[in-house]
Amino acid sequence: MNQGMRLTGRAALLAASALASVVVLGPIIWALSTSLKSDNHIFAVPPRLIPDEPTLMHFQRLVAEGVQWSFLNSAFYTVVSVAFAVAVGGTAGYALVRYPVPAKRALLVLFMGVMSIPSYALLLPTQVIFVRLGIFDTRLALPILYAAHVIPFAVWMTRAHFATVPRELEQAALVDGYSRFEAVWKVIIPGARPALIAAAAFGFLYAWNDYITATTMVESPDLRTLPVALIFFQGFHGRDWGALMAGVVIATLPPIVLFLVYRRYLIGGFSEGSVKG
Amino acid sequence: MTPAAVRASRQPDDIPQDAILQGEIQGMNVHSQDIASRAVGQSARSVRFVDVAKRFGSVAAVADVNLTIAPGQFVTLLGPSGCGKSTTLSMIAGLELPSQGHIYIGDRDVTTVPPADRDIAMVFQSYALYPHLTIFENIAFPLRAKRRRTTETEVTRKVTDAARMLGLDKLLARFPREISGGQRQRVALGRAMVRTPTIYLLDEPLSNLDQQLRVQMRSELKDLHQRLGATMLYVTHDQGEAMTLSDIIAVMSAGRIEQVGAPRELYDRPANLFVARFLGEPGMNILNGDIGDGRLRGQGVAIALPPTVKAGPGGLCAGIRPEDLVLCPIPEAELTGVVRTVEFLGSRCLMRADIGDTLVTAFLPAEVTTQPGETVGLKASYPGRTRWFDVASGLAVGH
Repeated sequence: MNQGMRLTGRAALLAASALASVVVLGPIIWALSTSLKSDNHIFAVPPRLIPDEPTLMHFQRLVAEGVQWSFLNSAFYTVVSVAFAVAVGGTAGYALVRYPVPAKRALLVLFMGVMSIPSYALLLPTQVIFVRLGIFDTRLALPILYAAHVIPFAVWMTRAHFATVPRELEQAALVDGYSRFEAVWKVIIPGARPALIAAAAFGFLYAWNDYITATTMVESPDLRTLPVALIFFQGFHGRDWGALMAGVVIATLPPIVLFLVYRRYLIGGFSEGSVKG
Repeated sequence: MTPAAVRASRQPDDIPQDAILQGEIQGMNVHSQDIASRAVGQSARSVRFVDVAKRFGSVAAVADVNLTIAPGQFVTLLGPSGCGKSTTLSMIAGLELPSQGHIYIGDRDVTTVPPADRDIAMVFQSYALYPHLTIFENIAFPLRAKRRRTTETEVTRKVTDAARMLGLDKLLARFPREISGGQRQRVALGRAMVRTPTIYLLDEPLSNLDQQLRVQMRSELKDLHQRLGATMLYVTHDQGEAMTLSDIIAVMSAGRIEQVGAPRELYDRPANLFVARFLGEPGMNILNGDIGDGRLRGQGVAIALPPTVKAGPGGLCAGIRPEDLVLCPIPEAELTGVVRTVEFLGSRCLMRADIGDTLVTAFLPAEVTTQPGETVGLKASYPGRTRWFDVASGLAVGH
């Protein structure tokens, strides 16, 4: 290949990457820009990406409406369900590798099968069950359902990782004077971080972004999640685009921050799960 | 004092005297007093297996093992892969529980004691270094176990001591993936040494190293054993390692101990056909035939039976080591056959010849001019070198 062709190839690659970035980042950047514009600037022609007079009025408006409580609700449901799902799923994934669990294959197929059922198909029956159990419209409803959704994924993800860990590592720790639990905690868990974080990230995104389950299982305004609150907000206030975009920014921030913090593990964890799983 | 401290402070006089003085192993008297006496003053412990068996489902991995290892001995479990030697080691470590029988360390029955409470150290074939810890932390890991309550200054001192002894001083800040195989092997040894255990268990520790390094580490291990005076149990399928390192070798096959003894004893007086064929490179030539006229007679075989050997109903076969065969004129020959190959090895030649339908190997002087296709006569260099085995039981009956 000659110099010119290589340059053309480079340029094409660059252009494609730029286009992909615009498609992915464009809406987010536009939302951020809109959330900082005052109402009369939002539909200004020609549109401006950098607001002339940036304002936090929309954010203040959200706070006045109490949206921060929905943010905290979402955070609570997400953290509780993810922590629970990763702990339970990781333990199960470990047990399925290390212990002689009866009907191991059948269990794994069951987990896989459950993952393939569209969760919306289960929504109404689950609601009926929850009403009967008295869990409907309580703080427990969403963590339980989110955890239930994430656990099978966490089991598969961590199982795939634990299967690659040589048994001798734990045995060495046992001989070195540690209990089984300490051996797992000090030797196996540190190595399992990418898999655990990948499972947690999947759970986090699912629970944080969920709308349908949240509207079906919870009615009280003070139990609402952030996505539900934002849709309600839109319904009440019609075309208050500034405030809505401010809500979008708030809702998008946590996943982005988490991804930036853990991106090393996430990319590693996903590729590990896919290659070695 | 904690139980561990009490145990550590005990003097060797709590080791059963019979274990030291007799070294009784499966009824064979092993001369181990000199080896045991070397361990006096150390905290070395004896290991005793009583009727130990291990089954995985319906498969018997280890059957009927009775074995006593005197304090301070270097004992090797030698056998082909799948013979149960690693399982035996795992049972001493407590990583596998025996299906039956008892295991004693010193005079304490440890059959069901968790690995952490056995005061043993183990070096794994894969080294099993902790990938997320530095070399320093890997070696320090056993000291950081709660039950040991080692102070930080002591940890540093012990780790640097062990590292210096093994030439790892400059690698302490690195991670296992950043060092070579031989260095990893040393780290695994360091991790075992750092807490001065009473018994070392070594599971094929050299098998992942290249030939040159293996020979070097072999002598380092031997040296280490002499310096530490600890009881060491070594598992390998490499008879060269077993021969050079061990005070005592236990040859295993199909879950059973075939023979226990000093390397020379096993080599010179194999107790059965398995040991005869397994030890030696190549193994002992086994020659079959019928007994008649005070001789073992077969195709190309005519070996006089010594007066001490009596044939059982199943018949006898003769075993001769390749290095004990010499060329001779055909009328005097015990074995007559056609040469298949002659390999020049430098100091000597390895000849293969078809004696009837048995392929016999013989080490001959380097200067022999024998050619493939030639008919040759062979005999034992002197009659006492021929071992006799009962065909039916496979057991040695004399020499």
